[in-house]
Amino acid sequence: MSSLLSLREVAKAYRGDAAPFALEVPAFELAEGEALALAGPSGSGKSTLLMMLALALPPDVGRFTFAGSDIARLWREGRRDALAALRARRIGVVPQTGGLLPYLTVAGNIGLTQRIAGCEDAARVRMLAEELGIGAQLRKRPAELSVGQRQRVAIARALAHRPALVLADEPTASVHPELADAVLALLKRECDQAGAALLVATHDPERAARAGYPVLACETHAPGADGIARSVFARASLVEAA
Amino acid sequence: MLRLALADLWHERVLFLCSALGCAAVLAPLIVLFGLRQGVVAGLRAELLEDPRAREVVSIVNRTLEPALFARLAADPRVAFLVPRTRALSATIVLENQARPGRGVRMELLPTGPGDPLLPGLAAGEGLVLSPTAAERLGLRPGDTALASVARSVGSAREVLTLSLPVASIAPASAATRDAAFAGVPVLLLAEDFLDGNAPVDARPGTVEASRARPFAGFRLHAARLEDVPALDRELRLAGIEVASRAGSVAGLLRLDHNLALLFLAIAGAGGAGYLVSLGVGLWAQVERKRRDLALLSLLGMKRRALLMLPLVQAAAVALAGALLAFGVAAAVAGVLNRAFAGTVAGDRPVCLLTAGMGVAAAGVTLAGALLASVLAGARAAAVAPAEGLAEG
Repeated sequence: MSSLLSLREVAKAYRGDAAPFALEVPAFELAEGEALALAGPSGSGKSTLLMMLALALPPDVGRFTFAGSDIARLWREGRRDALAALRARRIGVVPQTGGLLPYLTVAGNIGLTQRIAGCEDAARVRMLAEELGIGAQLRKRPAELSVGQRQRVAIARALAHRPALVLADEPTASVHPELADAVLALLKRECDQAGAALLVATHDPERAARAGYPVLACETHAPGADGIARSVFARASLVEAA
Repeated sequence: MLRLALADLWHERVLFLCSALGCAAVLAPLIVLFGLRQGVVAGLRAELLEDPRAREVVSIVNRTLEPALFARLAADPRVAFLVPRTRALSATIVLENQARPGRGVRMELLPTGPGDPLLPGLAAGEGLVLSPTAAERLGLRPGDTALASVARSVGSAREVLTLSLPVASIAPASAATRDAAFAGVPVLLLAEDFLDGNAPVDARPGTVEASRARPFAGFRLHAARLEDVPALDRELRLAGIEVASRAGSVAGLLRLDHNLALLFLAIAGAGGAGYLVSLGVGLWAQVERKRRDLALLSLLGMKRRALLMLPLVQAAAVALAGALLAFGVAAAVAGVLNRAFAGTVAGDRPVCLLTAGMGVAAAGVTLAGALLASVLAGARAAAVAPAEGLAEG
């Protein structure tokens, strides 16, 4: 299995709710098609890591490659359009509460990533919608849907353009606990089927484990002498593990 | 991209209508104001311009003006038309209809030439252009032949010079209200020479070229533009040539025009600035409201330029709809004003003058302001880290 995501000695300073935090990723690997849950208490930097992996936040230091591209260099050189193009073609995102555009129909929202990536495929939009049980809602606006249905629209949108990596930030935070298991299982099943790697940030590692995800828990360190709290996400590299 | 922007507008069509209405509400009175300025001033100006006498400057005292002066005046770009005249006393003839002998009428002989603003589209050529009253009294029509005679006394004898001249056309009433005949300069020169005893009874008019070498007693000129009349009037007086013109009323109109322009500029400036500010802040607020959507689109991989186009397209749509609406309202108001003030302020001309050009200009200014505001706001929004779209979800 080749490595889709590879981070080395990456650090990112950020402001948490109150105290300054530092996110550290000594080593992190994710293989193509692999699923992983990132677990940690709220404010531990999971979302920040996820945004960094979504090519939406620059790392402060470190090496970072994604799908063969040197992401750290693209950020350093300020090539935002190249990063946007990578996001558009290779990454799917499921925001916490769906993040759907209210003025587009369900079909328009699902097809949005296809349009941005320039690979429109109405048949795939219909197929995903059928599979996620929202085939009957394609012509409706997001406001007419239930929270669970909206979440499924967001999942379909994240998969519509056949990305290599799907990132989901607390996809179960706003749904009913019973629905949460279903959403996690659905995400994993769809990504497996599409061959996409999947990273889910969650504060509930047991639920993720129940849904069949390997879990990477973050180590949190209380503020040291410098007053900065640290969160560390470390995952032995594939090479080292072998 | 365009589809996204328009879908958003359609989704929020009530809000869109509100912005467009707000835009129109400020713009419409400005357009009406501008139309009023155009209508009132253009009306007064056209009224003056239509009267060829307004641009006329006539020398009133008989002098001996050398050809050099005429050459200099004719070369002046501010002078559109110039014709010399002979002494007033020697420019009197008796005109007679060949078919009605013995019923001649004594009248003034006025000089004219090609392109005379007093006789638009008419030319005397070798013949005469008659004032309407003269033509009526003599029963002459264009194409008829008139007999023009000048009499002098030599000792106790009376000699009469008679010329048979064709009637070229009848002058408009504005050119001459009394009995008068317009003729080329050579005819006037011949009459003067004959009266002075310098020409025999059987002499005939010379050529225009030959007359150029002669000094004249005076002239009539027409300025190229209304604005030139006061200056020409002043300069000729300074040169010691007594002239009559409407310099006073022209200067008054020009002052009114200038003052009105200033007044309108002040009002329109204040209103226009307010308009652009209100348009700008409205669009800015709209972009701020759309920040989350923009961040989400950025997160989904939309490029910055495409992202900027979103607020731009929407601003353009608001601006165009607003301008269109404003022009429609202004046109309706102008129609009412024109009917209410018909024939009072600016004659039978419209008081409020709206042209398609003004509509295009209003739309253009609105569009430019809208695009500027939304580019500024959009650039700010597009600079937002795409992460915002994920964080707040």
